[in-house]
Amino acid sequence: MNKKDVILIITLLVIACVLLLFINQEKGNTANVYYDNNLVLKINLNKNNDYDVKGYNGNIHINVKDSYLSVTDEISPYHICQKKKIHNVGESLICLPNKVVIKIENNELDAIVGD
Amino acid sequence: MKRIWIFLVLIILIIFGFIIYNKYSIKCYEKDFYYFDTYINIKIYSNNSKKVDKAFNYIDELFKSYHELTDRYNSYNNLINLYTINNNVLKDEYLKIDKKLTKLIKYGISLYDKSNGKIDISMGNIIDIWKGYRESGYGIPSLEELNYVNYNKISDIKLKNNQIKNNNLNIDLGCIVKGYVTKEVGEYLEKNNLDKFIINAGGNVLTGKKYKKDKYKIGLEKPTNTADIYKIIKVENKAVVTSGGYLRYYEYNGNKYHHIIDPETLFPTNYMESVTVITSDSAYADFMSTYLFLLPVDEGLEIVNNTEDLEAIWYISDDKIVTSEGINKYE
Repeated sequence: MNKKDVILIITLLVIACVLLLFINQEKGNTANVYYDNNLVLKINLNKNNDYDVKGYNGNIHINVKDSYLSVTDEISPYHICQKKKIHNVGESLICLPNKVVIKIENNELDAIVGD
Repeated sequence: MKRIWIFLVLIILIIFGFIIYNKYSIKCYEKDFYYFDTYINIKIYSNNSKKVDKAFNYIDELFKSYHELTDRYNSYNNLINLYTINNNVLKDEYLKIDKKLTKLIKYGISLYDKSNGKIDISMGNIIDIWKGYRESGYGIPSLEELNYVNYNKISDIKLKNNQIKNNNLNIDLGCIVKGYVTKEVGEYLEKNNLDKFIINAGGNVLTGKKYKKDKYKIGLEKPTNTADIYKIIKVENKAVVTSGGYLRYYEYNGNKYHHIIDPETLFPTNYMESVTVITSDSAYADFMSTYLFLLPVDEGLEIVNNTEDLEAIWYISDDKIVTSEGINKYE
């Protein structure tokens, strides 16, 4: 083994460690979906998926893609909650006529207690 | 040539190490349930996914069983539950019930004396009247109306060998079942070496051993603005339960009437917005949070300060929050 081999081995090990570290960072955010003030669903924003949630006027369709959440279908006069996508902690979508609120949860906390 | 072999062996070792690391490292397994009209979320921190799967299945069965047994509004095939008991017209007949239900009812009865009459599982009629007014949103019941149906007494519940006697009962176990079942789930998890977990059954939280350096951080919801958190507590191996009237209530003539009824006055109380209890036992936490909610704050404070392994936080108003003496161990 010469010096070049040693450098190669060390580089590979360092890359492997860095990869491992990155893969375990995957903590991700959660979105809470409330119907009429009651929590009805928790959505993991790390997984691309579609959800149907009961709203006051009918089902609401929620789409999660690449960590962005949006409402893609709901029965309401102005479709205000379909106008933007949310992604960061603290952001929320409010579908007022359907009494549905979608909030991106504060990941700092393990749980929230209330009535 | 030798160089290539070293290179290959290294790659294989790295991949192998990665696989082993992932297989045996602690992951968070999460599952949602919907029972007791409540959203329940359980997170288990473990390196054994098979054991966790088995646990979630067992927990689902357990929740389902208690949900059906304590359901006052629905009947289930071949099951004698609260609906059956409360609607049974054959007076003096004994009904055979599931051992789990017997134990739970007995536990409920014991809380009557423990709480000097504030926790009364025989109050189904009173609860139903208030529920009716709350749903209509108009008017309040008169004392006559309430007294007229207040003939059920805790002493009317007669249990003998897993049989319950029909005595025109209207038993409601709603205020104790969540804490009670959460306790059983916690015990099952610990017995099966899945001791790092957090259960949140609609505000009834039970935490096991912590899974990382920090303890579990629990946010307390602000009653006057539920999007906000007014306090964060850090706990491990403790139950945290809040009782409050700020979500299920209605307003009439400028007053709020919520769903937690004092058996003595037959009306809801007005001492505080919410109270949160921290203690080891989840069933006890559920009981104490309701009990403290029905007591004036200074009475409750006295009880908590004189009880071991019990701390509480009263949210009286936006400007007044009272805490028990030992609360700093959770701050």
